[in-house]
Amino acid sequence: MSRAPALRALIAPLLLVLLWQVWASNLPARRHVPTPTKVFAAAYELIATGELPLALGQSLLRVIAGFAVAAVIALALGLLMGYFRAVGRNVDPVVESFRPIAPIAFLPLAILWFGTGTPAAVFIVAYAAFFPIIVNTIHGVRSVDASLARAALTMGVRRATILRTVILPGALPQIFTGARLGMGVAWTSIIAAELAVGAKAGSGGSGGIGQMMFVFYAYSVELNSIVVCMISVGLIALAIDRGLLWLQRRSMPWIEDKR
Amino acid sequence: MLEWYRYHKKMGSASVRRRAVGGILGAATYARAMLFFLLLWHLVSVWIANPVLLPGPLRVMESLFQMVASGELVEHALVSLRRLAVSFVAAGAIGIPLGVAMGMNRPFDDIVDPLVEVLRPISGIAWIPLALFILGVGDALPIFIMFYGALFPFVLNSYAAVRAVPPRYADAARTMGVPRRRIIANVMLPAALPGILVGARLAAGAGWMSMVAAELIGAPSGLGFAVEWYRELLMTSKMLAVVVSIGILGYTIDRVLRAVQHRMAPWSPAVRSEQ
Repeated sequence: MSRAPALRALIAPLLLVLLWQVWASNLPARRHVPTPTKVFAAAYELIATGELPLALGQSLLRVIAGFAVAAVIALALGLLMGYFRAVGRNVDPVVESFRPIAPIAFLPLAILWFGTGTPAAVFIVAYAAFFPIIVNTIHGVRSVDASLARAALTMGVRRATILRTVILPGALPQIFTGARLGMGVAWTSIIAAELAVGAKAGSGGSGGIGQMMFVFYAYSVELNSIVVCMISVGLIALAIDRGLLWLQRRSMPWIEDKR
Repeated sequence: MLEWYRYHKKMGSASVRRRAVGGILGAATYARAMLFFLLLWHLVSVWIANPVLLPGPLRVMESLFQMVASGELVEHALVSLRRLAVSFVAAGAIGIPLGVAMGMNRPFDDIVDPLVEVLRPISGIAWIPLALFILGVGDALPIFIMFYGALFPFVLNSYAAVRAVPPRYADAARTMGVPRRRIIANVMLPAALPGILVGARLAAGAGWMSMVAAELIGAPSGLGFAVEWYRELLMTSKMLAVVVSIGILGYTIDRVLRAVQHRMAPWSPAVRSEQ
């Protein structure tokens, strides 16, 4: 995939943009229709006024807060569940029962509990990021070579120390993979949460990129700005994923990543 | 090939029996763990003593039964499931051939891959405002969003599965003069099937997840709509009953697709790792 000749790689996206421009400027009712040139103008304006960076920053801060909450709980619980069979057996059913419930389904409950502000969004992000992290932590702990732990045990190392010095480093690559996946769903769900909050609370809510998009849709009808938001959402998602992948390769060069 | 298939099928059915015995023990631990969780939930709800904020599990159960009996839950669920089915089939019909073609044809891959990589990071949910404007509130919006969410798992997994087929399979067929179309149908597709089926499970999961968001914002019916509707009425126990049924249905869909995986590709690593 990566050896694609640069020229060929450009064909399809350029063609898409060109088609979009031609199609949009030949529509009968073209006042609201977004075109690439108008989108560029809107992007410039949104960045120059500082609206877009502000909204993105707000959303990112929420993602980081929710992710941190999820990571702390999922890491602690996952280590215990992976290491002690009894804990794993008894907590696993509860975790697995919640896993198929989409994070957004809890948004109405979160709004009831926390209102339409930041805490509700952070709650949804934490819920979404929790599952990839915990599932990968459990799996990572279980796939650590048991003879390493046994070797430490024969030398009289205490179980708690083994957990910290043998199991945790052994499971780290998989935990990191879980964190990367968790960050990805966290970013997706913050958009959903903010969109829904925007849809239900009007423009008087709490900001963030998702709500900004909804305001552009429902109040000021600026489709070009919506497209700008979509593109920046995609760019941030890409940056998060590639950044964490780079960090993972850099900090754990011994593992062979399976993508 | 056939012998191999039969052998693995036999091994599979032996492990089904083993699993049935383990299943009874598993059900007991599951029941015990969930009972403990429900008890905790009940105690917290008694302590909070506000059924709008947190109704107890018994109340939610009651609402669930009541809504199933009155048929409204079934109605919403059928609407959502139909949307999922339409978008899932459409995503598979486009995503699998696209992924296979990308995996087998290098120049085609070079051209299409950038497009996939540009669109993929924009999550389906981020399309909701624009799609709302184009499609309006109704059936088309959730179907489009779910289709978009399900498309990429199909494409990426079909691509990876075709890429992972050892080249000597196709080479061997080619030396024996098998035409290209038959190589695709009889060599590449069967060998890539396990990976494609994994993609199908991921796609159904992604579609189901985007379903809730799409319906919550832009549909007048369906489970996602029902959740938000009962919040606005402050009928929290009914709302949670819908949330519970979203979970149960999501789990069931995954189980069904896993069963399909067992039947169609009993040799696949995803099936074997469960045993």
